[in-house]
Parts: sequence; C-alpha cells; structure tokens
Amino acid sequence: MELVLLVGRNLTARFTRSLFTWLGIAVATASMVLFLSFGEGLRQALVSEMGNFGPQIRVVAEGTDVFSPPQPELPPEMLEQIRAMAPELGIRKIIPSVMLVRGGFDPATSFFFHGLPEGADPRDFYPPAKAAAGRLDPHPDGAVVGAKKAELSKLTLGKPLRLSREVTVPVVGILEPASGLVDSLIFVPLKTLQQVLGTKNYGVFMILLDPDAKVEEVAQKLEAAIPGIDAQSTNEALKFAERSLRIGDLIRFGISLVALVVGGLLVANTVMMSVYERTREFGVMRAIGARRRFIFGLVLSEALFLALAGGLAGVLAGVLGSAAINAYTREAVGLALSAVTPRLALFSMAVALVLGLVAGLLPARGASRIPVTEALGRI
Amino acid sequence: MLRAENLTKRYRQGSVTVTALEGFSYEFPPGPTAVVGPSGSGKTTLLNLLAGFDLPTEGAVELGGARLDRLGEDERAGVRLEQAGFVFQSWNLLPTLTALENVAFPLLLAGVRPAERRDRALALLDQVGLADRAHHRPNQLSGGEQQRVAIARALALEPAVLFADEPTGNLDSAAGHRVLDLLLEHAVGERRLVLVTHDLEIAARAERVLHLRDGRLVKIEEPAAV
Repeated sequence: MELVLLVGRNLTARFTRSLFTWLGIAVATASMVLFLSFGEGLRQALVSEMGNFGPQIRVVAEGTDVFSPPQPELPPEMLEQIRAMAPELGIRKIIPSVMLVRGGFDPATSFFFHGLPEGADPRDFYPPAKAAAGRLDPHPDGAVVGAKKAELSKLTLGKPLRLSREVTVPVVGILEPASGLVDSLIFVPLKTLQQVLGTKNYGVFMILLDPDAKVEEVAQKLEAAIPGIDAQSTNEALKFAERSLRIGDLIRFGISLVALVVGGLLVANTVMMSVYERTREFGVMRAIGARRRFIFGLVLSEALFLALAGGLAGVLAGVLGSAAINAYTREAVGLALSAVTPRLALFSMAVALVLGLVAGLLPARGASRIPVTEALGRI
Repeated sequence: MLRAENLTKRYRQGSVTVTALEGFSYEFPPGPTAVVGPSGSGKTTLLNLLAGFDLPTEGAVELGGARLDRLGEDERAGVRLEQAGFVFQSWNLLPTLTALENVAFPLLLAGVRPAERRDRALALLDQVGLADRAHHRPNQLSGGEQQRVAIARALALEPAVLFADEPTGNLDSAAGHRVLDLLLEHAVGERRLVLVTHDLEIAARAERVLHLRDGRLVKIEEPAAV
C-alpha cells in the first residue's frame, strides 16, 4: 500500500469527476500541442527547404523579410553592379528573379509564380528537381509547374495558364513531387513575369557561389558595396525565420494558455472538492499519526497524477491531431506544416505538470492544516 | 506513562468563554481506566488533550515521556504514532482502503516494509477474527466488523496506550461485548486503556472509573463500587 495506491484509490473512488478533470487537462494540453506544433512544423519545413535550396545568398531590397515575396525594387543597374563584383567575390552565378503571388484561401486557386532568366531552370533553386512530364526550362514562353500545383489546379501539358488579361502561357513542364515548397511553385520566364508586373526591375537576386567562397563574408561585402539591399545568407535567413517563429510561438502559447488555465482551475476544483469531502479521512490519518507533509504529499500527488495522466493523453491527442492536419496540408500544399517534436512533447508535459502542481498546492496546504479535532468533529 | 497535571481547556464562543475541562490531574496506571460522565462533562475534551489532538489552555500532559503540551502538531502526531492507538465511536476507517490496508496504514506511516506490513496486518485481523474479510472495503463490513478492524488498526504498532471513545456506542449488545473484550484483552501488563463511555455497565469492566461532571474530575472509583 504505497502512496501511489492511495492516490489511485482516491481518484477512482470519485471516478466520474476524476475522468472529467482528466479530459479537461487532456483537451487543454492537446490544444497547446496543436497550436505549438505549427511553429515546429514550419521550422522543420524551413530547415528542409533551406537544405534543398541551391543559392547561398538572396539579395533583396532592404527591409524585406524572409517570409514575404520580394517586391520588384531592385533596378537593372544593381544587377550590373553585382556582376562587376562577381569575379572578385567568387560569385559563380547570379539569377535575377521576380515573384508574383495570386492568392486565395483555397490552395487550388493560389498561384506562386517565379520568374526565371534565360539560362536558368528550376534546378538552380532546387538541384534535385526533375521533370515528370515535358521539360524543365520554361523558356521562351511556357510554364513549368510543381507537382502539387499541377494536381490541385488540374494543370496538364499544353494547358493555358493565365498570368494577366494580356499574358497567357502554356504549361510546358510538370515537375516530379519533391515534398517541399517547389511542389507548389510555377516557373515562368522572367521577362514574361516582368511584363505582367509592368516593371524592368527585379525582386531578388539569387546568388550561387564558388565552392571556396565564404558565404557570410560575401554577403557582408555586397551589403557594404550596394546601399539599400539585404544580402541574406541561408543561415541568416534561418535565424531571421527562427525569430519570427518564436514570436509566433509566443502568440500561440498565449492563446493556448487560456485553455490551460481552465484546465488548471478544473484540477484545483476537483482536488478542493475532494479535500472538502475527505476532511474526516484526513483527520483520521492525523489522529493515527500522519504528519502534515504526508497529507500534503498525498493531496499534491493526486493533482500531479491527474495532470500527468491528462498531459500524456493530451500529447497523444496532439500527435494524432497533428497527423490529421498534416494529412490535409500535404494534400493541399505538399508540406507537413505541423510537427510534434520531442521537445514540444516534453515542454507540454512540463506545462501540464506545473499546472497540476500550482492547482494542487493550495488544496494540499489546506488539507494538511485542518486541525484534528475539527476534522473529526471532536469539538 | 500517561499523566495529566492541572489540565484545563477553555474555548471562546463569541464573547463568552466556556470552560470544558478544569484542573484535571491524574496519572493513569497500567490496565483499563474508564472515563464516565454525562454529555458535556468534558470527556471528549479530556481525550483530545490526553491524545494530543488539541493543546490545553493550562496544565501539562505527558504521554510516553513526551510533554504533549510543549510540542507542535507534527511532533504530537509522531508521539501518537509511536505511543497511542485510537478506537472511535464511528470506526473512522479509511473508506477507499480494504480492511487489510486500513490495519496496515499505521505501519506504512511508521515506515515498515510492505511485506512485513502485510504479514502483521493479516495477523492482527486474524486476532480480531476477521482474516477472511481482509480484502473487503469498510462499506462491505458490518458495524461490529468495522470496529474490530479499527481495533486491529489501533493495535498495529503495539501502542502503550489505547484510547477508545464510546467504542460500543454504535453497536448492538453482542457486537459491543466482543469489541470490549478485545480492548480489555489488550490492556494487560504495562499497557493502558482509556475507555471513554457514558455506559456505566461498560465502565464497570474497567479496573477504575473516573467520573467527570461540568469539566471536573469529581470521583475515582474501583469497579466493585460502580
């Protein structure tokens, strides 16, 4: 008859109440796991994307963040300026580009166009890219479509793709599935996209370096030589993305905190009710010789046990929920946007336990301090 | 050793001070001692003070060499665990535990190992004739059986003093006699039994009877005179 047995007996003696409390904590924890799993999923997707991304440096107009499509703000003279510096800096290739996002809430009606200059094809961005049908090069006037985009928007070879009222291009290639962002992109000739946007400017210069060039050093030199640009290395982009994701994590944690606080109040209520109903039992224990810390430990253990069991169930429910979300997002955009990583599971369990601890402290203290005579009705 | 010296307990009830016990002095000798008196005479207050459930307003209580009136709550609990056993009128078994686990509970508090706890608790249940009911919960036992489990629990750590507060109050005559026999069987040698009752017939089976009235010890009798 150990403490665990006593805790188990007390909780099962009030089975329905314990069950509902357990469910409350499980739901609160699961909601937190799901909310935070988006941050983890995005992190994993980003790291995987960056790992597959060919160019080492991305030059954009100052103030453009990693997540936003860059506006066409870089003039052609800037491209010439970088080209002039290329041999000295060890730049192997410069791919000027513009991007156009035609968005809708439905992934099937969202289009991400990527302009490619002559001589470049999707492999410059995603080296493993392969054509499943047609060709890889969109030039002179075609579109190469990512596998998921082709599937969702029912695009097949030869099918016309309207970029604007005046500009329509046929699909000339469809890429093999790559389980990444490339699956949702449409590559078109740069000049075509510039025509659509009515500009001769560029949105971004993707820079590929010689193997022995030092990425951070080149980025710094570019920024120093050309005012008004950000030269973002892959590492820097990841760091920036991490900062943004952390802010997102905090916001999501804040939202899930509401559910957690409700869960905590449930535990506190259950344990307080239980303490109130068992006043006499605690009196008997004290009369027999139980010290205050025994009663305190017993009551606190009940709260912690509820929190632990609820937390485990919540993490499990979160894993299942995350799998369901990923099944949808993989279908919709070809990416797993939710991930329950070990650190997220551990963090959620820790939060659930802290919740149980905080919720159990007050009732435990109260139970351990009831005078024996009062508890036994011996006044 | 169980000794009370000038034991006094006063309570505040609003603006009125009520004296529940006044100037009680007595050294309990080994064997059974009954405490009798009408309702409100101070019997329960006396037992609360003797057992260290409560602290006296004045006076001293010594149990097993420890001055209970000078100790804190937890120290008094420690002395109770080592020196005293309790049998209450309403049995007060822990409802979620089996008879066996209830009897083993004081042994758990005393840090006795699980296997030994089980063996000793079983032996005690056997002594009170309930070995076959070891795995029953209190709500599956009759009143008499519950009280016998409570006695077995009280005897678990072989206490020097056994406190029994109206132990037969909720029992029929036959069950009451059996419970009383068990309590008296224990009160041999150096062991003491403090039996609080309002029933003079039960008190008559003790070796001495203390009469309380209005919070004062008014008479000490030998059984033949009761």
